[in-house]
Amino acid sequence: MRAVLNTGRTISQGIAVEHKGSPAYQAAVSVCHMNPVDLMDLGIEEGAQVVLTSRAGSVVLTTRAAEGINRGEVFVPLGPYANHIISAETHATGMPDFKAEPVDVVPTDEPVRTVWELMESIGGVRYDH
Amino acid sequence: MIIKDVVCPFCGCLCDDLDVEVDGQKIIKVQNGCALAEATLTGNNRLPAPIRRTATGWEEISYDDAIRETADILLAADRPLLYGWSSTHGEAQSIGVYIAELIGAVIDNTSVVCHGPSILAIQEVGHPGCTLGQVKNRADVVVYWGCNPTEAHPRHMSRYTTFATGFFVPEAQKDRTVIVVDTRRTESAEIADEFIRIERGRDYEVLSALRAIVRGKGSILPREIAGVAREQLFRVAEICMKAKFGAIFFGLGLTMSNGKYKNVRNAIELTDELNRHTKFTISPLRGHGNVYGSNEVFTWITGYPYAVDFARGIAFYNPGETTAVDILRRGECDAALIVASDPGAHFPHAAAAHLAKIPTILIDPHHTATTPLCRLQIPCTMAGIDAEGTAYRMDGVPIRYKKLIESSYPDDADLLKRIHDRIREVQGA
Repeated sequence: MRAVLNTGRTISQGIAVEHKGSPAYQAAVSVCHMNPVDLMDLGIEEGAQVVLTSRAGSVVLTTRAAEGINRGEVFVPLGPYANHIISAETHATGMPDFKAEPVDVVPTDEPVRTVWELMESIGGVRYDH
Repeated sequence: MIIKDVVCPFCGCLCDDLDVEVDGQKIIKVQNGCALAEATLTGNNRLPAPIRRTATGWEEISYDDAIRETADILLAADRPLLYGWSSTHGEAQSIGVYIAELIGAVIDNTSVVCHGPSILAIQEVGHPGCTLGQVKNRADVVVYWGCNPTEAHPRHMSRYTTFATGFFVPEAQKDRTVIVVDTRRTESAEIADEFIRIERGRDYEVLSALRAIVRGKGSILPREIAGVAREQLFRVAEICMKAKFGAIFFGLGLTMSNGKYKNVRNAIELTDELNRHTKFTISPLRGHGNVYGSNEVFTWITGYPYAVDFARGIAFYNPGETTAVDILRRGECDAALIVASDPGAHFPHAAAAHLAKIPTILIDPHHTATTPLCRLQIPCTMAGIDAEGTAYRMDGVPIRYKKLIESSYPDDADLLKRIHDRIREVQGA
């Protein structure tokens, strides 16, 4: 399914934002909110995984049904998951397309990666304490 | 011990009416605050000591070594980037600007990925704004455009608008009309008297349509604009024109969608049109606690609110070129100092990835998504918890953060001052 990716704040993202390695943070920001009819079209139930692919990359997320979202749109809370597929192009404004990234949404069985795995995939070294 | 009138440092509302119960060096209870305030003030994910990345992992180092190494990295760089600044106080922000000037760096703050485009629009057409106190006491029509205060600024509606009793608005829920404009039916939209649901990326058209109606040119409009029935826009325009005092608040729905700063410019110009009929104001809902302060501090020192480049020896500003995401995307900077922010989580990964390729130093109290990308992290106090200082609320009102507990961490302003002095010492020699 072709869709436009929207990102933004949610209350659970804000509550966990200073605990980036916590299960609560991962659960809050690795979700893909989408219209229930789109979920049906993809032939999956809420809670199943999808892989979102954009011009910038791809990331696996857990779906959540949201009546308030238009068909053809998906909403992912801001954070490292959304940013794994948002292009760094700013069209000379300084501001990336955080609310206008075209994506392909495809069901998958692959697991959702952790925040530290995402950071390692871009050259980071995890700090365990 | 209970500390009264505490300022919450999380979001740009800077609510200053919290009661916080403290037991020794621990915050144990937060009253009056929202869920975000409670999580912020009672959180304990602090990095215990300065750390340095090694070939195989991480090692703890002393503050003295960390400061010396930071100064050395910044001195050796040709094109250093200093980024962040919105979760700390003005005292630290100002020393950041002085360091940038000393070493010819680019200094940018997090407004670049939130309301930077709003500032560009304000630079074009001005800002007919007001303080939140004016809105609370006078506004009988409130418009939330492209924002979801219920989740991002949870007490905005109860302190200043929908549910707040004001001097000229004695019965808030009866006297105030709330209009929400969004592409999603959010929780904020559920509370609204009028919800305008527009198609994604077409805010500019709806703003232009409203301007046409307010100008008396509504007859030229097609039946539907961006998925919105013309009749609804006529109704909303009338509500706005009949207001005694209207206030528009807007969020990243305008700054991050197609059109970006031009959307904000159009919203400001709609406010201008409405002022030919009544009093109307417009203001951005600022995100981080002191992101507005970073704009204020940068402006009073350099003349520019963000994306300031000192490479020429003078302050130069060209968003799109001197902005942090663009500099990182182009792989242009060869060292970075990140303070009080988390670009690892909040920048597109291609930009964040460059931080891992260059010597990056992070000054932040928490173990964040930027920690794995940096070469060195220096933990510090958190403004509003174990450090006092000045922050600016989203309406430009400066508010003093209180120090609630003592801690063994150094204030980030003191760390930055030591880095600054070390750089001056080496440069002088």
